[in-house]
Parts: sequence; C-alpha cells; structure tokens
Amino acid sequence: MRSLHPASVAVRSLSRSLNTGFLFFVVGIVVSPGGNGTDLLSVGALVAIGIVMGIIYEFAYYRRFRYELTENSFDVTSGVIARRDRELPLGRVQNVDIRQNVVGRILGIAAVHIETAGGGQTEVSLQYVAEDEAHRLRRQLRSGASAETSDAADSSPDETGAQATESKREADDEKLLFEIRPHELAILSVFTIDPGASLLGGIALSFASGFDPATLLPTDRIAGLPGPESGLLTLAWGLVLFLLAAWVISAALTFTRYYGFRLTRAGDELYYERGLLQRYSGTIPLGKVQTLTVSESIPFRWFGYAALSVETAGYAPGQSDSRGTESAIPLADADRVAELARAIEPFGPIDLEAPPRRARERYAVRYSLVVAAIVGGAYAVARYTAVVRQWYAFAALVVLVPVAAHLKWSNRGYRIDDRYFLTRTGFWRRTTKIVPYYRVQAVLHQATIFQRRRRLASVTADTASSATLLGRAATAYDVDADRGLEIQATIEERLQNRLRARQRERTVERWFRDDESPDDDPSAEPGDGG
Amino acid sequence: MERLTPRVRVVWIALAIVRATIFGGFLVGAAIALMRTDFWDAAPSILVPAAVAVAVVLAVVRVLIAWRRYGVWRFDLRDDDLYIERGVFTRVKTIAPYVRVQHVDSRRSPLERATGLATVVVYTAGSRSSDVAIPGLTPSRAEEVQESLRRLAIESAGEDAV
Repeated sequence: MRSLHPASVAVRSLSRSLNTGFLFFVVGIVVSPGGNGTDLLSVGALVAIGIVMGIIYEFAYYRRFRYELTENSFDVTSGVIARRDRELPLGRVQNVDIRQNVVGRILGIAAVHIETAGGGQTEVSLQYVAEDEAHRLRRQLRSGASAETSDAADSSPDETGAQATESKREADDEKLLFEIRPHELAILSVFTIDPGASLLGGIALSFASGFDPATLLPTDRIAGLPGPESGLLTLAWGLVLFLLAAWVISAALTFTRYYGFRLTRAGDELYYERGLLQRYSGTIPLGKVQTLTVSESIPFRWFGYAALSVETAGYAPGQSDSRGTESAIPLADADRVAELARAIEPFGPIDLEAPPRRARERYAVRYSLVVAAIVGGAYAVARYTAVVRQWYAFAALVVLVPVAAHLKWSNRGYRIDDRYFLTRTGFWRRTTKIVPYYRVQAVLHQATIFQRRRRLASVTADTASSATLLGRAATAYDVDADRGLEIQATIEERLQNRLRARQRERTVERWFRDDESPDDDPSAEPGDGG
Repeated sequence: MERLTPRVRVVWIALAIVRATIFGGFLVGAAIALMRTDFWDAAPSILVPAAVAVAVVLAVVRVLIAWRRYGVWRFDLRDDDLYIERGVFTRVKTIAPYVRVQHVDSRRSPLERATGLATVVVYTAGSRSSDVAIPGLTPSRAEEVQESLRRLAIESAGEDAV
C-alpha cells in the first residue's frame, strides 16, 4: 500500500483552510460579542481555529489514504470519518487524467483522476502524488487495462522489473501524433469564444473602472450629441468595451489552456498533454472509443482547419470540470485531422449521401415561417409602440430564406460505411460524427408530423458516450423514410455481424492460448478492443 | 408484431383526463380570477366560457391522442433485438439489440395495478432516450417478456456492453 505525497498535506490544507478559515470568519463575525461591532481578536482566533482544524483534517486524510495497484485492480482505502474501500477492476478503467496546477508544478506533485463508465463523477482521485509516480500509475493502469482486456496473464507482479520493461517499451512505441503549432494556437485563441470569459470580462471591467462604469465612458465627447442618441451611444460603447474585454480574456484563457498541446500514441492508447500554467494530461483508450467527432466551426473552416474530439464512455464533451480534456486535437489542418481520425478508426472516404431535395423545401418553409413571425412581431411592435416604424422592412429577410435552406441542406449528409456510420450536420459548426457499428446501443428512426408529410425521417445511432446538453448523438437528418428504415436495419445487421465476428475471434484466440501462449498481440483492430 | 393489451387505453385516458383537469382547472381559475379582481378592467364577459371551452377542447384532444397512441404502439421480440414502434405525432421506431441490455425492470403504478397491467422497462448504456419501456402488458405477459429479455440478453452477451 502506498500513500500520497507528503506535500499534499500542505497543498490540500492550504485550499481547505481557505474554506474553513472563511467559514469561521463568518461564524466569528456573527457570534462576536458586543453586538455593535466585531471583536477582531475573537474573529482572528476563530479563523485560526478553522485553519488549524483544516490542517488537522488534511493530515488525517493523508494518514488514512492508501492506494495500491495490484495485478488486476486498483484499490483505494480512504476517508477520515466515514471509511471507504474501493476496488477498480483495471479492465474497466476508461480514462486516466493527470492535472497539475502552478503550486503542484513547483512542488513536483500532481493529481490523478481515474474514470470508469459508471457513475456521474470521477471514480478515484489521488490528490496529490509525486509527478513521476503519477506518470508511473498512468502507464501501469494503461498496460494493466490492456492486459486485462486481452486476458493476458503475463503481467509480472515484480514491480521493479515490470517498471523497467514498461518504461523501455514506453520509449519504444510512444509516437508523437500531433503537436499544436504556434499559428494554430494563435488562430484558436483569437476565434474561440469562451462562455466563462464574458463573466470574467465583466468583472475585469468593473475592476478597471474602479466600480464606477461612468469613468470608462467618454461622456465629454458624447455629450455634444443631442437627445436620446447619446444614451444609445453610451450603451453601445459599454457593450463594445465589454465584448473587447471578454474577447481578450477568452483568447488568453484558450491560449493557456491549449499551450503546448501534444498528442502521442502509446500502444493502444492516446496520451495528451496541454496547458501553460496548469498542466493537464490524460489517456484516451482507443479500445473504448465510442464516437469520433470532427467539428469545423465557421471561422476555422474558412482557414481550412478542423478539430477532433474522441468520446469514450468515461466522459464526453461538456463535462464541466474537465472542459476540453477530451478533445484529441483542438485545431489543425482539416487533412491532418482526417488522417489522425483514420489512425484511430480506419473509416473510409467521407463522401456523404445528401438528404433528398424535398428536405431543402422543408427548411425553406421553416425559415419562411421564422421570417413571417419576425415580420408579425415587428408589426405588433410598430402598432403599439413608436420604436419601429417600417415594420414591413423585415420582409426583406425573405431573400435569405433560400440561402439558409440550401446551406442547411448542403451541410447535412450520412454514409453507411463498411464498419462505420457517418453523419454530418450544421452550417455554423459543422460536425461529422463517426460511429463504429460495434458501439451502437440502439437505433432510432424518428419522423415528426412535418417530416411524415414529406416522407422524411431522422435516423439516430445511439452510443454510450455520456452525451450532455450539447453533445448530440449521431443522427442522419431528413433522409427518405424508406431509406431510413433500410439504414436502421443495416446498422443493426452490421452490429450483429461485428459481434459475431468478434465472438469468433475470441474463440480462436482462446484455442491458441490453450495451445501455447502466443507472443504476438492478438488485438485485432484498434477500433474494436473490448 | 405484438399489440398492447387494449385495457391500456383505460390507463392512458384516465391519465389524460387527470392532466387535462389539472390544466383546465388552472386555466379556468385564472380566468375567474381575472374577472373577479380589477386587475384587468375591461375583461370581456366571454373570458370564463372561453377558458372552459379551451379546457374542454384540450381534454378531448388529449383523450383522442391517448386513444390513438394505442393504435400506433407495437413491439416485437425479434431474434437479435427488441423492436418498438410508437408515437402519435413523432413516430419513433426503436431497435434495441439484446447485447446492449443492461437490466430489465417491471413496474406497476397504482393505476396500472387497478387495471391489472404492468410496464417492462429496458435499460441500455446509451445516452439518448434509449431506455425503452413497454407499457400495457398483463402481469403474466410482463413477466414473460422480462424473463425472455433476460435470457436473450445473457445468451447474446459477448463482452462488456459498453
């Protein structure tokens, strides 16, 4: 059994005592004697008690925390008051992440997070272990997991020996797949909009202005203008300032997040590293890939860039605390992205079948209705207020309808590959999803009342990736209804075929293993490891 | 293709009526409140009858939808997968392979117990509305379905279902 790094007591109690110290500060303010005014001494004493309690707790946590990597499981014993023994079968490990913040980098310690498919949160967090111990754990968990899935019984219990061969193998087959280039990082930083940045931008602005927004406004210039225009101009000026601040912060955040992004492949896992101040690194097991997503957002698509994200069942895009960790490539040339995606899942060419033309009519009708609603709204506003006068001017939007309908239609498509189901949708953020048939959980054929009018339907291949609000499943939108049924049947049939093929492979493998333990790696295709 | 037990319409219609009553209660209540208080001075006298009419129409529509839902619902335990067809407005045809079944529940709400029906719920690891439920089965049929699903899931289980 191993314990955490001793420095983790200091780091953990620092953050802990900030919490408890603040709590006791509040308590001290509330209960301080005298009623009219706070007694500095007693508040200080309470804060000190809070900090000391935090340190004691963290020391106990450190003393109680033990973990051990056995041949086929990872065991953790932890808990100060309520104790918990947790055993993680290595074959079930989905991702291993290493995170290091600035303090951690100075002290040479890192946090290790281990994800499995079940549960809503990280299954095991080691906060903190020594840096090289973190990397050793990652390697061993990885090799343990792959050994477990291919049922090889040759993982040596002798730790030092295993470690030596392991690190040797590491040097041998760790292959650099991708490294972000300065200009890619620059483009990514400039054009990425970080939702959190707007809030930070607002805070930064209010600090810069000394909590008086008026100081930032060039009122002396605007004052010359007459009447309500100056008010509008002030508002616009404030908005511009706010957007500028949000954009600068967003760019800075993105820059630090993806600085030094590297993706390497070691055996059957991808390994990424990134971050300027906080270092993040983690593994993506290729054998557990559920879906590949190639996304080309509009400014990046103009420059010929794309991004790739890999969804496993451990976590998926949008998981709040690990934002971006899952993206295999934040930004690269579209060709390179396609090449790398094929290295993970060898899918064929992406020449997609377009939805039938009557789907485009459907979009045109939909957008016409939107325009009609806007005109109607403008009419209502013009009728009852004086803000809008030429309400009918909005009818000019109608010229955009055919363009929008065509763009929506032309960016949609699907393909039934030999082993993959490919779907594409979205004009602003065009996403192409690649789903191996083997990963399909259920196939849905949906037709709304409006789709049925035009004999259209949407076919969804559902996988186990923990999709969230934004992570959409692979759906072929608005295909011909009968063709949709065909697609559905084909996906199911190919899934069953893949299952049977794998069953055969496993049986054959077992015969071989009974005969003699084979040296070559029997894991057949990268996309299909259990 | 198997249909549901016709009795399931009783459950659905009862549910539709209960929901329509609650909604209609709010609607008519709001209309009466508007008439009684001087919040809206020029409230037309037709307001309350109109609210009642809307509530009644909505209730009738809901009952019709519940009736129609029975006509659409079909399911089939095929060789390798469970096939379900449902939906009045959005017609959904789901294929759930047995290999992917994580576990199977049988569930009976008070209303279902009163009418002697049961629902079988099939869970998969999928992320998107793929937890499928088959309502309106007689308890014995529900047990059979659950049992055969369990058997088929075990038979087809190759390796981990994720």
